Amino acid sequence: MSSPDGARLRNRYAIVGVGQSRIGKVPDATALGLLAEAMTAAVEDAGLRREDVDAIVCRGPDDVYAHHQRIGEILGLDAEFSTTVDNGGASQILSIILAVLAIDAGLCSVALCGYGRDSWSRTHRSEEARRSVSLVPEEQQQGEFEHEFGLFGAAATHALGARRHMERYGTTKEQLGSVAIAFREHAVRNPSAYLREPLTMPDYLAGRPIVDPFGLFDCSVPVDGAGAVVVTSAERARDLQRPPVLIRGFGTFNNLRGWTAGERMIETAAKRSGAKAYAMAGLAPAEVDTAQLYDCFTSMVVAQLEDYGFCAKGDGGPFAASGALRLGGALPANTSGGQLSEGHVEGMLQIVEGVRQVRGDLPKERQVARAEIALVSGHGGNTVCHSSLILERG
Amino acid sequence: MTQTTGGSANLPLPTPTVDSQPFWDACRAGELRLQRCANGHWRFPPAPLCPECWTREASWERTSGRGTVIAHVTFRRVYHSAFAPLIPYTVAIVELEEGPRLTTRLVGVGPDEVKGGMRVEVTFEPASDEVTLPLFRPAK
Repeated sequence: MSSPDGARLRNRYAIVGVGQSRIGKVPDATALGLLAEAMTAAVEDAGLRREDVDAIVCRGPDDVYAHHQRIGEILGLDAEFSTTVDNGGASQILSIILAVLAIDAGLCSVALCGYGRDSWSRTHRSEEARRSVSLVPEEQQQGEFEHEFGLFGAAATHALGARRHMERYGTTKEQLGSVAIAFREHAVRNPSAYLREPLTMPDYLAGRPIVDPFGLFDCSVPVDGAGAVVVTSAERARDLQRPPVLIRGFGTFNNLRGWTAGERMIETAAKRSGAKAYAMAGLAPAEVDTAQLYDCFTSMVVAQLEDYGFCAKGDGGPFAASGALRLGGALPANTSGGQLSEGHVEGMLQIVEGVRQVRGDLPKERQVARAEIALVSGHGGNTVCHSSLILERG
Repeated sequence: MTQTTGGSANLPLPTPTVDSQPFWDACRAGELRLQRCANGHWRFPPAPLCPECWTREASWERTSGRGTVIAHVTFRRVYHSAFAPLIPYTVAIVELEEGPRLTTRLVGVGPDEVKGGMRVEVTFEPASDEVTLPLFRPAK
């Protein structure tokens, strides 16, 4: 566990600007181009100039070595501190954590964090590309104990846990569907979401089978897109144009001993990552007004609802089916449509949405009432890595 | 219902490392052998030292080849053309009686008949001249 001293950083740093690129089919931009769109938008949103930025912490497109160097070159920025982070979907919150630590250590003062990818374009170049789905270059993939047995893709590794959760707790396909349907309702209200057609339970259940128990609508949607945030001290944030969003708590945990060990397929690293974030924030789950959870697959939302303490272990399915996740529900979640409907950008857009909700500057039909506290999660590295972020209105 | 992939020319084959080569050699000989350290801890996947006690000395010991299905999924979508003829096929995490968990493919059982907790045993299927895969089927 983290030392109690973690609270020393509570509310000392802030997110002062957010940006996103075009989301969906954007064939005229590379992943780096999309990230540049998002990063420049975030700096503009903060009311800062390029010269004010002195740090970059980001995750690359998976195939670009030393990605922070490339994006710095594109943006015309040298950095007092910069690096690329390698924790899969947990990288985006981890980037913000590293930015806070670097600023706190006096290495830099204003950091740009972000992520961009070209998943739609990349997976639509050929039939072979559509099939392979992996964004990880072949030489970086595991060479044994996976493909030779027919195990391919993130859907299957998550579906293994989903099946175990269903067999252990009686979680149903319809309960998983209630996650996808709630987030689609949110996407319908979000003009920049990629999938905006209303989704009914019969639509969900009729989804093309992928890897049982997952059908098409259990899986996030590959898009081209990027998001970015600007991080600086709370003190500096007070002088900037946007209402600051304070970083009240954060945490990480990585199940490095393996994702199939023990009960990790159904009790994820979110539990220990979240416990640290709550401890740093001095908050309990009941005090969270909105959650933006890493929804690569419907079942991951169910597991995280339990692991973050919003309901008891095993009750995530009924909790989601109760309507709690809808705007107006007990825990409005993934209010931009999430990765299941807005588009999968590795959790980056969940951070952007969490900031916007807490700032209270969304259109009325999208805004969570009294959104003082937002919890955002990041999950990745083949279900091994997790990161947590708790935001508070400044 | 026995499914084989032995005839498929483009089956993705494992790339053994210096740590895992004995595992694949044993499979080719029809034996499921895993590393066991000098202090008696079994381990998988193959590794240069014991993650429990960091002991480097280990031997490749034959396992019972029997275990339990911990989790299972059935592929309905083609990710790789070599597996297209097998769809729907079931991939499982199997916990051996000795403790370690293996990723494998189930044979001799329909996707709808597989349940968590099901008892299974190893069966070997040649995939090429060099590689034999340890698959699992319902225990007799």
